[in-house]
Amino acid sequence: MEFSSLTFLAALPEFILIFFALVLVLVAAFARHSDGHIKTVRTISLVGYATGFAALFLLPQGATEIFNGMFRIDGLTVYMKGLVLLGGFFACWLVGDGWGEGIDRAEFHLLVLMAILGMLLMISANDLISLYMALELQSLPLYVVAAMRTGSLKSSEAGLKYFLLGALSSGMLLYGASMIYGFSGSTGFSEIAASLTTGDISIGMTVGMVFLLSGLAFKISAAPFHMWTPDVYEGAPTPVTALFAIVPKVASITLILSVTYNALGEMAVQWQQILIALSVISMIVGATGAIMQQNIKRMLAYSSIAHMGYALAGLASGSMQGSTSVIIYMTTYVFMGAGSFAVIMTMRRDGLPVERISDLSGLSSTHPIQAAGMMVIMFSMAGIPPLAGFFAKWYVFLAAVDAGLVPLAIIGLLTSVIGAFYYLRIIRLMYFQEANAPLDKGGERQNRLVLFASLAVILLFFFFIGPVHDHASSISGALASFS
Amino acid sequence: MFYHAIVFLPLLGAIIAGIASLSQQHNIAILASIAGVCLSLLLSCFAFVEIALGGQALTVEVARWIGSGDFQAHWTLRFDTLTAVMLIVVTGVSSCVHIYSVGYMSHDKARGRFMAYLSLFTFAMLMLVTADNLVQLFFGWEGVGVASYLLIGFWYHKESAHTAAMKAFVVNRVGDFGFALGIISIFALMGSVQFSDIFANAATYQSHVITVFGLSMPALELVSILLFIGAMGKSAQLGLHTWLPDAMEGPTPVSALIHAATMVTAGVFLVCRMSPVIEYAPLALDIITIVGALTAIFAATVGMTQFDIKRVIAYSTCSQLGYMFFAAGVSAYPAAMFHLTTHAFFKALLFLGAGSVIHALSDEQDLRNMGGIWRKVPVTYTMMWIGSLALAGFPFFAGFYSKDMILEAAYAAHSGPGILAFWLGCAAALLTAFYSWRLLILAFHGTPRASAEVMSHVHESPNVMTLPLVPLALGAIFSGWLGYEVFVGHDMAAFWGDAIFILPGHDALANAHHVPVWVKVLPIILAASGVILAVIAYIVMPSLPARIALLFAPIYQLFFNKWYFDELYDRIFVAPSVAFGQILWQRGDKGVIDYYGPDGLSGFVKRSSGMLTKLQSGYVYHYAFAMMIGVVVLLSWYFSGFGR
Amino acid sequence: MDAYLGDYLPIAIFMAIAISLSLAFILSAFVVGSQKPDIEKLTAYECGFDAFDDSRKPFDVRFYLVAILFIIFDLEIAFLFPWAVALGDIGLFGFWSMMVFLGILTIGFIYEWKKGALEWE
Repeated sequence: MEFSSLTFLAALPEFILIFFALVLVLVAAFARHSDGHIKTVRTISLVGYATGFAALFLLPQGATEIFNGMFRIDGLTVYMKGLVLLGGFFACWLVGDGWGEGIDRAEFHLLVLMAILGMLLMISANDLISLYMALELQSLPLYVVAAMRTGSLKSSEAGLKYFLLGALSSGMLLYGASMIYGFSGSTGFSEIAASLTTGDISIGMTVGMVFLLSGLAFKISAAPFHMWTPDVYEGAPTPVTALFAIVPKVASITLILSVTYNALGEMAVQWQQILIALSVISMIVGATGAIMQQNIKRMLAYSSIAHMGYALAGLASGSMQGSTSVIIYMTTYVFMGAGSFAVIMTMRRDGLPVERISDLSGLSSTHPIQAAGMMVIMFSMAGIPPLAGFFAKWYVFLAAVDAGLVPLAIIGLLTSVIGAFYYLRIIRLMYFQEANAPLDKGGERQNRLVLFASLAVILLFFFFIGPVHDHASSISGALASFS
Repeated sequence: MFYHAIVFLPLLGAIIAGIASLSQQHNIAILASIAGVCLSLLLSCFAFVEIALGGQALTVEVARWIGSGDFQAHWTLRFDTLTAVMLIVVTGVSSCVHIYSVGYMSHDKARGRFMAYLSLFTFAMLMLVTADNLVQLFFGWEGVGVASYLLIGFWYHKESAHTAAMKAFVVNRVGDFGFALGIISIFALMGSVQFSDIFANAATYQSHVITVFGLSMPALELVSILLFIGAMGKSAQLGLHTWLPDAMEGPTPVSALIHAATMVTAGVFLVCRMSPVIEYAPLALDIITIVGALTAIFAATVGMTQFDIKRVIAYSTCSQLGYMFFAAGVSAYPAAMFHLTTHAFFKALLFLGAGSVIHALSDEQDLRNMGGIWRKVPVTYTMMWIGSLALAGFPFFAGFYSKDMILEAAYAAHSGPGILAFWLGCAAALLTAFYSWRLLILAFHGTPRASAEVMSHVHESPNVMTLPLVPLALGAIFSGWLGYEVFVGHDMAAFWGDAIFILPGHDALANAHHVPVWVKVLPIILAASGVILAVIAYIVMPSLPARIALLFAPIYQLFFNKWYFDELYDRIFVAPSVAFGQILWQRGDKGVIDYYGPDGLSGFVKRSSGMLTKLQSGYVYHYAFAMMIGVVVLLSWYFSGFGR
Repeated sequence: MDAYLGDYLPIAIFMAIAISLSLAFILSAFVVGSQKPDIEKLTAYECGFDAFDDSRKPFDVRFYLVAILFIIFDLEIAFLFPWAVALGDIGLFGFWSMMVFLGILTIGFIYEWKKGALEWE
């Protein structure tokens, strides 16, 4: 194999991120611990994400496979990488000052950068081996950042739980991958797909698929593989939770998308059942679990479980409409996540972050802008038209109904109604409840900017829904099932 | 543009006033609303000259409103003589009331809001009278209903006020339902709601029959009766009149504008407007005549016994509306419109005068607590005299021309209902004069019955309240004399043009000029005797009324309790509805829908949420166990063969 | 498919033999050997003197650190050997690939050195 310029170019964003990661390693090695240096580190990683994002526009058009077919780019992967880099940028930017030990170290940003790199590779993975490698490259730094606050017992517990269960899920995933390899004779997605076109689908393939999807379901915290989510979201430092909430799910959903639609397209009947089951349980668990929560991070954890349930409902429909709806869903998901955490990370009392839901009461009087923004985001999450969240849900349910999955769509609608309850509860708290002890005024500038950016997307989505839908539809044409 | 401005200036005023009143900018609100209405009045005068006197009916388009299949409704303003007359009445009275309100409401904290409502009402009323199709008319119809609701309940902290507002709204719903059915059946019949289409085609539908529930009746009869039911609601005719006296809970200017001069006459306007249809429905005409005549006498009997100064005038209004209806019923539409116009002036004058009395006596409304103040409020006293003279129909006052015209027309109709209406109308004329002077005497003469403290505060109202009475008084004196020839006299045909249609043969009005002399003189004699009776009863022998009341106790009680209409309705409609609602609420809604629906579901969700929270134990091995269970269940699903 | 899985038969046989052999060795030691435990035999062997305290106590995390670092560089050697053998076949591309790999490794090495991971005290 020749090291051609094309090879280099197709993975340009990844190379850029590797470069910035190496730079950060050196900075972390030599820099003295001080306030100034953490700002530099943050700036470097932000520049890294921005450059990586810009590099997406230089990538070759059309589908390209490099590294012996292990790495694939096409319209879909480029779009998803854009979302991931944007989410990474937001998550990193939100990390202001005052988040205490661990977070204020260069290693934090370095690890996040590594995780984002892993996610980019996940999106492009076109082979079971590169899939696993990318997945671990994403997971290992995330285990560490979850436990980053070494002085906090909760943080350590979160990191350990995440690591142990993540290892279990990796085991399942590997087992499934080995089964699939064993029964298809190849690790490449296109070869696996080719092997499925001949003859019956063996039970071994099905077992492999169950394990593989179970492993991946863990990564998107789909029920019943969700149990880690509330604990980790709550225990991890808030900037880490923000990262968890915004980015990794985009990459994992894309991975599921390419595994199901690219590699196992012929087994649609089989994996549809799994996805339906996961989707239904996730929607129900996410909607009902959130109601009793007192901690806003925990509540958002359940909310994200429910969101993944809806995304899976779109995936489960197995149609081009379904994949389109998932792309739209993840797009809105990134912005809603970023916006909500921009508000949550503004909430401080006496300089210390607060995270109880009841602390939101009276937010409209202390932080009118943030309260209004949070209200819009909550309405959007609840799926109230004409906000972005409504269209996301609308396309998902539409795809499900068109694929004949009417019960799934009905369960989705019912759980959205239940979900609306706890989203609206937050609005009620912010606007109709007296503040028990006022929160600190003001907030950091970047938080406001991220909030405004997300609000702009959520509010104006209405006007761009046509072009967004067309683009999503055209890039999901790159999936093997539709070509 | 000029014609648009007539209708939309009050709306503009209402919007500005509404916004200004939000920030307590009362002066801006007052100025904006008055300016809007007065400008509209000015333009209306020009329009009147051009349209009514110049004979140039026209329509101007505003916008395409509803287009759904065959159903087309354009938003068009229709200006013909009927409209022009109403324009003058509405904007004229409205301007006076606006200005009067500045003084009357000067102590109210929400006077800006009040002005905004008044202007909004004026706009809705103008929409109603300028409507070019039934749907647009219905829009204005409901608009005045809403404004009336808001204004009756203006003092919403008063229990009685908002109850009255609700009552007015609900009772009007009954009429509106009839009206809506009428519109629907017209559309079903003719395929259009446009006046021009309806009027042009009415004659061809004469022989059409509609069958409803196995009962077949001529289509135009049904339509006319349904429309008349709508008119009955809005114009407080017998049966649907119960809301009007209660509506007196609103501020007095409201009573003057809405419940005397304009809104309540909308029903009369509707009947006149639809004359090209109703003319082909003889049964409906008879019904209108009889209901109108019964209302006239019924309301007069009740008005005789009431003690609330505003209620007396309210029943008087009810009675006068009855006159207008039976005039329309005998096809004397011009006479009805003539009386509508003169009545607007003198009744608004009476109401505003009554308001002035109430104001002078520190918000006292009970006649029994008044008296002996005529020297202290000379202007008001004079105005009330003028109003009463006009109402009772004394020669050369406005009411004389119009009321006598109606009675003559009724007599000249030479039909059973017409004669009935004539005699009942005459009786009512007697009673009208009686209760008018009863009111005057009780309110102004005799020994003061108010407390000394109140009496010491009695004062003439400020100029801003007395000056608006002057144009109304002038109208009450001269409008009949001025309007006689054009409205119902020789220039009638040229004046009304196509606006009113009278079927050849329905010549009550033409014959009215040739009735025997006694018919012409009788009302005057009756009015005079009514006055004399009142003087005897309340000045010469003040103990007489009580003795008569005792003597004829059952009849007096019947009159005093308004013929037990409210009690009857309460028993027949309200109580069963409430009971039925209770059952639906307690058993149906709470017991079934809520219990299994929202409450049951939310309870279920809460319980399952609690269970789910318990599952979230925090132990890693539980979590890992859940994952393994998940995988195992999925695998067994496939192994047991469901997954194929 | 079955033929393909059949290719793995030698491995399965190999594993079966390996497991049974090792089990045989361990079990035979229990079965054949004579066991007469006494106190001296049961105490942990501590180079000629009595144990100071419980041998199952946590020991310094730096042992792990050194062990992990050792593995990383050990693996590097494992890569270098086949690379060196095949260098003639893979050409300039192969050469630079390894240089990049070593460069990254070096940066990591610099980091751990600066962070003091290689110093015992």
